[in-house]
Amino acid sequence: MSTLQNASLSKIKVSASASPAWWLVFKREMADLWIGGKAFNLMLIYSVVLGVMVYIYSFNTELSLIPPKEATYEMLKNAMAVSMFVGLIIGADSLSGERDRATLESLLLTPASRRQIIVGKFLASISTWPAAFVIAIPYLFVLAQGDEVLGPALFWGGLTGTILVIGYTAVGMLISFWSGSNKVSYFISLGVYAVLLVPAELPGKSAGAAGQFMQWINPMAAVNHFLSKHLVNYRSVAEVGTFLTTSIVLAVLSFGTLLLVGSGLRLEAGRGSKVWAKLGRAIGLSVIAGLLVASLLLASPAYAFQGEQDLTITIDGDYKLVKTGDKVEFNTLVTNNGSQASPALIVAMNIINLDAAGDVVDPEDWSPQRTQYMQSLAPGESLNQGWIVNTILEGDYMVYMVLVPEPAAAETTSHPVASSGIHLTVAPFTRLNPGGVLPFAIGGPILLLVITYFVYRRRRQQIDLGGSE
Amino acid sequence: MIETKDSKAFSPPRQILVAENLRKSYGPRRALQGLTFSLKAGRILGFLGPNGAGKTTSIRILTTMLEPEAGHFTIDGIGSEHPEQIRRRIGVLPENLGFPRQMTGFEYLVYYGQLYGRTAAEAKENALRLLEDVGLQQRGKSLIGSYSHGMRQRIGIARALVNDPVVVFLDEPTLGLDPRGQQELLELVQRIARERNTGVVLCSHLLSEIEGVCDDVVILNVGQIVARGSVAQVISRVQQNIILGNALRVQVLPDSLAEAQQALEAMSNIMKVTPIGELEGWLRLELIGATDGDATNVHQLNNKILSILIRARIPILGFEVEGSRLQDVFLHLTEEAIQ
Repeated sequence: MSTLQNASLSKIKVSASASPAWWLVFKREMADLWIGGKAFNLMLIYSVVLGVMVYIYSFNTELSLIPPKEATYEMLKNAMAVSMFVGLIIGADSLSGERDRATLESLLLTPASRRQIIVGKFLASISTWPAAFVIAIPYLFVLAQGDEVLGPALFWGGLTGTILVIGYTAVGMLISFWSGSNKVSYFISLGVYAVLLVPAELPGKSAGAAGQFMQWINPMAAVNHFLSKHLVNYRSVAEVGTFLTTSIVLAVLSFGTLLLVGSGLRLEAGRGSKVWAKLGRAIGLSVIAGLLVASLLLASPAYAFQGEQDLTITIDGDYKLVKTGDKVEFNTLVTNNGSQASPALIVAMNIINLDAAGDVVDPEDWSPQRTQYMQSLAPGESLNQGWIVNTILEGDYMVYMVLVPEPAAAETTSHPVASSGIHLTVAPFTRLNPGGVLPFAIGGPILLLVITYFVYRRRRQQIDLGGSE
Repeated sequence: MIETKDSKAFSPPRQILVAENLRKSYGPRRALQGLTFSLKAGRILGFLGPNGAGKTTSIRILTTMLEPEAGHFTIDGIGSEHPEQIRRRIGVLPENLGFPRQMTGFEYLVYYGQLYGRTAAEAKENALRLLEDVGLQQRGKSLIGSYSHGMRQRIGIARALVNDPVVVFLDEPTLGLDPRGQQELLELVQRIARERNTGVVLCSHLLSEIEGVCDDVVILNVGQIVARGSVAQVISRVQQNIILGNALRVQVLPDSLAEAQQALEAMSNIMKVTPIGELEGWLRLELIGATDGDATNVHQLNNKILSILIRARIPILGFEVEGSRLQDVFLHLTEEAIQ
């Protein structure tokens, strides 16, 4: 007979209707994060950052020329970067912070399973992402300026952000699990964040196969690339979907590892068993090795190209009368009429002043969307691309496109194909209204402040504010 | 009022904690070398030892926070191979326990009550009762961050009782409390043991505290038990082995100290009489020659000393044989083990 069977029945009975431990821990952590103030403070700072960004985008003369698609993408990218940082930091504090504050022991002394404690804490840690995303929506709405990019931006931003935040938070919690102190946990987490963020922001990041590989293997950079190509450059999900692989792999592996090792959560850092400690390290190394191998297997087909072709490019307009400050939108259609797949293609926009005495056009001022790149087109396949020109100066202009097949090798050339042109007549107009963005820039943080005030006030009503004995 | 388990009140005390040959090392250092002891329901066991003796390691093993390298223990009949079941039956107040500053005392107890499997309604009812038991019913809605140290210790004890445990482990519960706070807390510990019929393991470095409250005592030194049994048994056993009767202590009114010293120095059996500096009104009497542990000789000498003081009309406030206090025993045993 086991010792369990010999046990007396003198302790409390577990009620059948009692809440599961993960739910209790989740609720407690949510209250700590949101009523305790940490998450609200972080969200307040975050909303101020977004407000400043959207204000600058709208009022800065140069930045205001960024087309809505690109501005929306940039805002989404920055919102996600800040959210991932918040998720990582909250995850990094979740276990080592409790060790430092000496509150972990009383939790571990309960009969709640370690895995349920981990799950409850994890779910609370990722709770800042939905809030951050909701806060970002008004800013995205303002920057999109009615562009069709808003819907896809919200869908893909929400989806990829959720995948990333799962991965980042789980990584933060794993670091916290293995760290002896909160300082160490924060230090390593910030290092990981910097390692993942900085390469994604460096200029010339995608130059060459190595650069593209680094971009592909870095979850945040790869997701940014996916969003950029899909939202701004009209690439289909099928074309650039492989860039989501690393973020999905990171989320699955890091969360899976967390669940696996989490059952051994204890007072000291890491797992008690040496076998488990070795297994944990092996899994960690496998995650990195897996990312490397998967990237090698999946990255290469995306950059292959082949063959000669018969290419055409058409433009859906011939004449437009507009005013300075207006936005001119048009589409081009590239078709491969040949019997072989085309090489990779580049479409370049050209704007020339028809008045010989007029100012020479600097296309960078008129549209940062000067070139768009596309992959190979199959025989008979066409690709539609959207373009935007912000009219800066009055006068008569010709806008036309040039389609350039990528040369087959380093020392070879190709034959560009030109489209017909759009004759633009730009009349003078001074735009005073920069989009009415100020209410959003200021309103977001103020609204959060008001919510925070009411949450705190309600909490103060719930508690007795008496001093100590 | 603390709930009484009537069903247990009249039954003979049963073994609720049995530890057998527990061992633990940290690298080359042996923290615990064969810990064996037991505890009965309703009794308070003092766990003593100098720093590094292995007290905290023992408590961590018995509360399932650490795994022993060897040995076995049972709590309420549950073997150490079932840590989750053991955690359902124990309550623990660890040393230097941290508290969530943003929770109220009531919320804290409700949360832990639910983690032990109570429904929200049951946990709330239990929390209110516990707050009353530990004298915090007026501060249940205050944030723990606003509690004094003593109040935190009391809410920590309430948390340890939230699952109606069979054994409660209290690690230095009076650390940092003022004398009144210490007294109140020790009374609470006694009530827990008596009225709940709960076994209490009380770790403390305050020997007077252990002596006044505990029924049994275990003295640890360098990972080994150097004495165990009831407090009286341990003192008596040690007295037989040490300098029994070679020194006495007498307490008189401070004003009479010089007169008492003079009267006692005149006795032929006394070699030296010196005031004990740190204890006002106390004199230490070194006796000439050993009494050879003969109880009759000891008692006769004691009576003689007392009669001299009484005849001199000096009020006697205290009288004891050196070595009769737990502190003396503790110092002797731990010093002996170190040597």
